[in-house]
Amino acid sequence: MIQLQNVTKKYKEHTVLDSISMEIKDGELTVLIGPSGCGKTTTLKLLNKLIQPTSGEILIDGENIESTDDVRLRRNMGYVIQQGGLFPHMTIRENIEIIEKLEKKQPKEIENNTIRLMKMVDLNPDDYLDRYPPELSGGQLQRIGVIRALANDPSIVLLDEPFSALDPVTKRALQDELVELQSKMGKTMIFVTHDMDEAVKIADRVCIMRDGHILQFDTPEVIMKHPADDFVASFVGPNRIWSSPERIKVRDFMLQDPVTCGPELSRDKCADRMAENHIDTLLVVDGEKNLIGVIDKQMLSLVTDPAACAEKLMKEPDRAIYDDSSIIELLSMIQDKELNNIPVLNRENRLVGLLTNSILVSTLSRQYLPRHTGKEAAK
Amino acid sequence: MISLISYMGEHSSQIIQLLVQHIVMTSIAVAFSVVVGVPLGILISYVKKLGKPVMGAANVVQAIPSMALLGLAIPLLGIGKLPAIVMVIIYSLLPIIKNTYTGISGIDPQMVEAANGIGLTKWQVLKKVKIPMALPIIMAGVRISAVTAVGLMTMAAFIGAGGLGYLVFSGIRTVNNLQILSGAIPACALALFVDYIMGLIEKLVTPISLQKKFNSSKEQLKKARFRDKVILIVVFVLIASLIIQSAVSGMKTAQKTITIGGKDFTEQDILCNLYSDLIEDKTDIQVDRKASLGGSQVCFESMKKGEIDMYVDYTGTIYSNILGLPAKSDMDAVYNECASQMSDKYQTRLLNQCGFNNTYTIAMTKETQEKYNITNFQDLAAVSDQLRIATTLEFQNRKGDGLGGLIDKYNLNFQQVMGIDASPRFTALENGDVDLIDAFATDGLLKKYQLVTIKDDDGFFPPYYAVPVINAATIEKYPELEGVINKLGPYLTDEVMQQLNYEVDEEERDPADVALEFYQSIKDQL
Repeated sequence: MIQLQNVTKKYKEHTVLDSISMEIKDGELTVLIGPSGCGKTTTLKLLNKLIQPTSGEILIDGENIESTDDVRLRRNMGYVIQQGGLFPHMTIRENIEIIEKLEKKQPKEIENNTIRLMKMVDLNPDDYLDRYPPELSGGQLQRIGVIRALANDPSIVLLDEPFSALDPVTKRALQDELVELQSKMGKTMIFVTHDMDEAVKIADRVCIMRDGHILQFDTPEVIMKHPADDFVASFVGPNRIWSSPERIKVRDFMLQDPVTCGPELSRDKCADRMAENHIDTLLVVDGEKNLIGVIDKQMLSLVTDPAACAEKLMKEPDRAIYDDSSIIELLSMIQDKELNNIPVLNRENRLVGLLTNSILVSTLSRQYLPRHTGKEAAK
Repeated sequence: MISLISYMGEHSSQIIQLLVQHIVMTSIAVAFSVVVGVPLGILISYVKKLGKPVMGAANVVQAIPSMALLGLAIPLLGIGKLPAIVMVIIYSLLPIIKNTYTGISGIDPQMVEAANGIGLTKWQVLKKVKIPMALPIIMAGVRISAVTAVGLMTMAAFIGAGGLGYLVFSGIRTVNNLQILSGAIPACALALFVDYIMGLIEKLVTPISLQKKFNSSKEQLKKARFRDKVILIVVFVLIASLIIQSAVSGMKTAQKTITIGGKDFTEQDILCNLYSDLIEDKTDIQVDRKASLGGSQVCFESMKKGEIDMYVDYTGTIYSNILGLPAKSDMDAVYNECASQMSDKYQTRLLNQCGFNNTYTIAMTKETQEKYNITNFQDLAAVSDQLRIATTLEFQNRKGDGLGGLIDKYNLNFQQVMGIDASPRFTALENGDVDLIDAFATDGLLKKYQLVTIKDDDGFFPPYYAVPVINAATIEKYPELEGVINKLGPYLTDEVMQQLNYEVDEEERDPADVALEFYQSIKDQL
């Protein structure tokens, strides 16, 4: 875990960072984003001590980096910049292995590691290792830059606008690869960019900065749906979330607290409850809020015994969706079977909401309508 | 052209020996300036505050004329190879410092930050990133320095360090164009060769990926680099062996050796060689000959510093120039006064006077003499406002017995007074650029150019009898020298000296040969 505590950086009288504090969790990909001059790159360089804070403390796993040796710290922290920051006079192999060699690792071990990493980013070791950086394309250089950062097996990797000079196609491919690498290797990554699309695409958490302050530090979904202020809202842009619909989760637009009943409720009471709430489906849950059945209007009329309890009336629920599924998954589910009224469960299988066709339609239509605040729309 | 080739052929062993000296001294100087300049350049790229003073100092030094720097070096470092090498080092520093600084500080800061960011130490950043990337620019500076150094090193002969400049200087003294060319042509070829070799190094140290041809022909480039490496290794082995060889032969001379110096004109070259031949023949002492050192002052300073043990001076020069006494015409009185004062003040011994009086005189063409009807200084005074005079700088600067004294005494008022180097003044006179020049009575060039001289009826110039001046400590160590050296004096009459000078100046023979030949002819009588 990386903690920044009241970190301030001043150049003479100019304040670049104004007492910021944040916590970066292990194994997450955190994106620092903001307009130029916001302090995002400064924040990144504070972490590997390329810049010294004017005041405040930075702790990594509880240890103040002030007291850590610069070189030791940096060798345990990968660093990737634009074009990878590769040295043009060294071969690709020399570039990747430079730190490992200085650390005097076993040559065989270094060689194997290099080959493994090259394969991980789909570059053929035999073709590329003995070439020089000027012979490679921008995308290839950037991949090499990333694997150089990973070569010494650091737990943290810092990336300073690594993809900003690449063409859109290469950029997208590299973003996908990075996300995959990150989830595979579980590294803590801190990524600086000014591109919101990029942030939304790769981030576990986004930290939006402006003029040396942190405006909002949260998951992309929350930031998109509940921007902390107008600046964040305008920085994120209207309908940003529709450019990455996988970020739109069922729980964000489902009907919360759907009308339910217990298994002992009688037929008449069930009918009354439906009538009261103007609904034609009632969800039956047990004391733990586990969904045990579904009752709809037609089923009520088929049963004549007014005292028959809900448990007898209901049928087994034949479909349900988890609340953290995306709208994409929902749509494909609906496409397969014609459905209405899908119950929503959380990962503990407790009932948390309900999806109706009308909610889905209104959610989908939102991207074409003027933006209103996220909360209203969800209700 | 043919005469040049045959001249170079005849003197090939001398030319090769001087070329080797030249290469050895230049290599040492360039190597030292690299050793000093590159770290300095790196230092100022880190400590920016030092940049201005260091570069400023290097710039100022660069602007000092090399002659002046050499002149200043004599009191501090004496004469010979050391001050010559130091002078070249000082001149070579600037391009190296400048290029190192430019190369190191011109590296993309992002690259340096990346190097720091991935965890290289400062030293590793310098060694693995900065220096390799700046090396092509640093080498370009070394290349400029090395080529300039070859040219500058010709100045080394000015202070007796040898090298190809020796041929150039002594060629100028004796108006011997073949000799000038046989020094200048090898020097020029050497400079071109050094440029070629340095170009190879420059190419080799440029990382293969940063070369222009890299993308089109990587394989060819690799082959060419292999070939270049072989050439360089051969050249460096050769240079190293030359340096070792000269170091070894330098050690050998450490036994019984004295050094004889000489001023920078023909007569002195002959005398320096003649006395050396005599001493080497009659004693078991080896002589290190340092002919053509410079003017009287250079020789005398070198003597005081112990750089040379002996040289031949002239009584009048010692009397008025070194001791600063008022002119006197009695030759024995002058000699006695000189001998006692030199011994007291400077711990030097004057041996017996030689048989010739190399007095200063003013020379002109026969036509000029006839036109203005000049025989003595009174005649000259009458027409001096129509005449132009060119004299050596030494003659202009002498106290008492120089141009200034002459002008004061006879109230002369020349149309123009020019300062010029020794031999070119004869050419100037012949070309009609001037009407009068100063000359030595025994000067062979007087005969060569068929000039006439003005009679010194009043004894304005003191007697200038040649006299061997030797360090008191040297004569104490080798007492046998006194007897041997004194034997030669009586044979050196005005006629003999003028004849010997003439053989060098007119017949363009080597002073060493002329001296040796004369010595062979008289040695049985000594």
